[in-house]
Amino acid sequence: MLTSINPTMKAFAVLIPALLLAFTFDPLTPFIYLVFTVAVTFFTGEVAFKRWILIVSPFLLLAASFAWMTMLHPGGAFSGGDVLFSLWSFQVTTESFRAGISLGLRSLSFAALSLLFILTTDSTKFMLSLMQQCKLPPKLTFGILAGYRFLPTFRYELQVLRQAHRIRGVGRARGVKERMHQFRRYAIPLLANAIRKAERVALAMESKGFTGETDRTHYHEMTIQTRDWVFVIVFVAMFFVSVFLSYQLGFLNIFGKQF
Amino acid sequence: MTKWNLREIVLMAILGVVFAVIYLFFFTVGTGITNLLTPFGLGPFGYEVIFGIWFIVSIITAYIIRKPGAALISETIAGGVQVLLGSPAGPMLIVSAFIQGLGAEAAFAATKYRNYSKGVLVAAGVGAALASFVWGLYHSGYIALSLPLLSSMLIVRVISGALIAGLLGKWITERLADTGVLRSYALGKEWKKKREHKAS
Amino acid sequence: MSIKHHKPLISVENFSFGYDPDKEPLLKELSLTIHQQETILLIGPSGSGKSSLSLCLNGLYPEAVEGWANGEVKYNGTPLNQFKKGEINKEIGVVFQDPESQFCMVTVENELAFTLENIKTPREEMAGKIDSILRTVGLTEEKHRPIHELSGGNKQKVALASVLLLNPALLILDEPTANLDPASRFEFIQLIHSLQQERGFALLIIEHQLDDWLPMVDRVIAINRGGNILLEGKPEDVFYNHADQLKAEGIHIPRIVETVLDGNGGRVPETNRPLSEEGLVSWMNSSGMDRIPTNVQARGTSASGRNEVLSIRDVSFSRGKRSILKGINLSLHEGELIAIVGKNGAGKSTLLQVMSGILNPKTGSRLLLEKSYETWSEREMRKVMGYVFQNPEHQFITDTVYDEIAFGMKLNGVNQDEIEYNVHQLLQRFHLLSHIWSNPFALSGGQKRRLSVATMLEDTPSVLLFDEPTFGQDAQTTKELMQMIQTLQQQGTAIVFVTHDMDLVDSYCEKVYVVNGGEVSFSGKPDELWQKPDILHEAKLRLPFRVRINQLLENLHVDEKEQGVVMAHANIH
Repeated sequence: MLTSINPTMKAFAVLIPALLLAFTFDPLTPFIYLVFTVAVTFFTGEVAFKRWILIVSPFLLLAASFAWMTMLHPGGAFSGGDVLFSLWSFQVTTESFRAGISLGLRSLSFAALSLLFILTTDSTKFMLSLMQQCKLPPKLTFGILAGYRFLPTFRYELQVLRQAHRIRGVGRARGVKERMHQFRRYAIPLLANAIRKAERVALAMESKGFTGETDRTHYHEMTIQTRDWVFVIVFVAMFFVSVFLSYQLGFLNIFGKQF
Repeated sequence: MTKWNLREIVLMAILGVVFAVIYLFFFTVGTGITNLLTPFGLGPFGYEVIFGIWFIVSIITAYIIRKPGAALISETIAGGVQVLLGSPAGPMLIVSAFIQGLGAEAAFAATKYRNYSKGVLVAAGVGAALASFVWGLYHSGYIALSLPLLSSMLIVRVISGALIAGLLGKWITERLADTGVLRSYALGKEWKKKREHKAS
Repeated sequence: MSIKHHKPLISVENFSFGYDPDKEPLLKELSLTIHQQETILLIGPSGSGKSSLSLCLNGLYPEAVEGWANGEVKYNGTPLNQFKKGEINKEIGVVFQDPESQFCMVTVENELAFTLENIKTPREEMAGKIDSILRTVGLTEEKHRPIHELSGGNKQKVALASVLLLNPALLILDEPTANLDPASRFEFIQLIHSLQQERGFALLIIEHQLDDWLPMVDRVIAINRGGNILLEGKPEDVFYNHADQLKAEGIHIPRIVETVLDGNGGRVPETNRPLSEEGLVSWMNSSGMDRIPTNVQARGTSASGRNEVLSIRDVSFSRGKRSILKGINLSLHEGELIAIVGKNGAGKSTLLQVMSGILNPKTGSRLLLEKSYETWSEREMRKVMGYVFQNPEHQFITDTVYDEIAFGMKLNGVNQDEIEYNVHQLLQRFHLLSHIWSNPFALSGGQKRRLSVATMLEDTPSVLLFDEPTFGQDAQTTKELMQMIQTLQQQGTAIVFVTHDMDLVDSYCEKVYVVNGGEVSFSGKPDELWQKPDILHEAKLRLPFRVRINQLLENLHVDEKEQGVVMAHANIH
């Protein structure tokens, strides 16, 4: 089901709620939305749980770290309430605690929304859909696809570079200057090759009659159907449901203002 | 887009792809630094220090191609490719990248795309840092943080943008020009003239 | 096939082209014609502008490189600049050299669709056309696969298929087989041959390795270093009657021609000037040559009695659950030159990496200079063992040729005067002294290759490993490289290389290991390997030229003898 939603519409379906979620500063709204997103992700059975957890785990850490920072260094609007506990010279209050949890959950919701998109979307079809639905110029569309196609090559080249450096006796970099040189040693061969490839690919594409005109036929015709609209509407509507529930339970907070 | 030829567009796209990979790599570097700082509640500073790396493709591409849109589009592509690669920051990353790109682009636009001196490249790095910070206030909820923390984050990010994106970006691009692969682009031509001038 | 009565398809009149208006043009005042259905072989030394010419013919140059051009190129009588953008590209298709950079889509199917979309093929017709062209080039099975997972040979077939979808009147092949292994190259050439007979397109072939193309060529055009036409005519005239002129320009003549000229004392045979292997065999037979002599450049004496420098016992290696090497044994002696061969993915490169110590095996033991690998320190090991990568650029880590060579010495704390002296010595030896302050990336292909070897030679290493050192290089670079390798060999360095090129193995190697499915399926002298058709077939190896011709000759003799016997029988009755 998720895989067959039009990619552009799916992108909007995850983008709009993410933009809206950024207004809320209470823990409950992002939490409800997170539960909803995760439920949709696994409900359709198209995403392997193990893979999902693997990708999301570094973000758990980041979210926790961000929540912690907010608790210790809250802004004026979030530093009220009773002191929950104190650490060194910091005092964590109920409000800063809530804001911290909220921001942590928010970034987790972003991650969950993204994964829902990434794990069920074919990148080629996403680009084609951007061209067909959002009028992205064909030159840019196919240029990006051509670049994207080189990813496996880059991965391979990086590995070879690492080995070659080892053979040449380049050790681990210490100090800023050495690190800069290290970065250069990887970046230059990689980029030099990339630039030559860009030239060759552009020639090859033009040799196959590609002109960049928008008037072209499409092998994969990307269409928008009713269910795509339903999908977007459900995702946006669910945000307001979360806000409403949060309001009912007395948690709702928008930009530091309690409702 | 009409003034661009396909070669330049593909180059911009490929640079976007290469740097998407580099960006993802630096995400793990940032996570490493973050882990060290977390106990003090300064975790995300780990990213602030190296934040400039995430603007570097704007500076490099604009410096090479020198056409309106180079900084903005290349950064947006890098953001988009990170999404396709599986960055959990997700489609929002495209928006973030777009806004960072706008910040860098603004500096080049201010010179009417005529000046690519060191100062302008650094300004582009700073522009990207400022734009991304304003966006972060809203999108990442930085607004909930205390003012002293916020201002120190801003300072660190601006310095990182100036040094890593502006200066390192310039340096890398020029080392690349030395290899001769940029011969048919604006920077390569300038480089050749310089060298011939030096030789004569 | 007589071409004269066919209409000219392309005519080039007084055409010049250059990248930089202030400099000498690359192509000067060229005039030439390509007729319908004609096959033309375009030859010239590296850098003579052959590729540029082909891209001028299909209208992409000079615009794509912001160069300039004078004179006129006409297609069917109409000047190219009167065609709408993209129109001429439907008439003239190009397959390029690098299999890695001709595509913009991930899967085979989508890449082919890209071409069809460009020429606005109605959607309903696309699926049928894609399936049919895949059948034509024999890639039906690969339809849904990502292109980057295919072998080099199959990638080039995808490039060919997508160009054929344009139904071009002229197909330009710009060294499409230079990056392929010999077996895949042969297959690709056969495919082109049968397609041309079926479809009747004209062909413009740019190549360095000429032999396999020769039988289908109608006309040869040779360009010289200055960008002028040097020679033009029928292949037998150009190659046999002007061989010296071509060689003087640095153009390699086909081995078939070379063999005949050598066999005939340098004189051109009057009646029969063979251009195919079969033709060569019958010429040799009629002129009494019974074999091509072994072209062994410097095969050292037997390895016995020399010290063993590297030994690998019962080594296995796996990546995740996939077993890549199984129970490999290998030994290498002082001054020995051995080759590791096998088809793509057989485990050759992994074996080389295990030998180099970059990868560590799961089981088995490895000795270097009679010391176990584990007891070597990284730095000491790198001093006695060098590794030259397939792409020289991967090894470059500094800004100048000088620093590149000095890097290792600086690392090892050699004093400045000594570094200075050694660098100059090495650069002199590798003919790079005039480029001492150049950027390594800005060197030519051959110079990069030489530099990549030079960086490994600050001390004379005991072992030098090469990963496909001649891949994608022209004949001149290959020759230079092999000369360097032989010099090292004489100094006692043991050399191993992974290669696909059996001609190289035949002329230079003392011992060859065939790796198949992660196991050594053969080890021994090359001459013994040539007698084992099963092993060769399984590892997708093509016999070297010398051996192919000699075997054909032998078969001919056997046939004649048999015929003789039959004749004798007939006479009795």
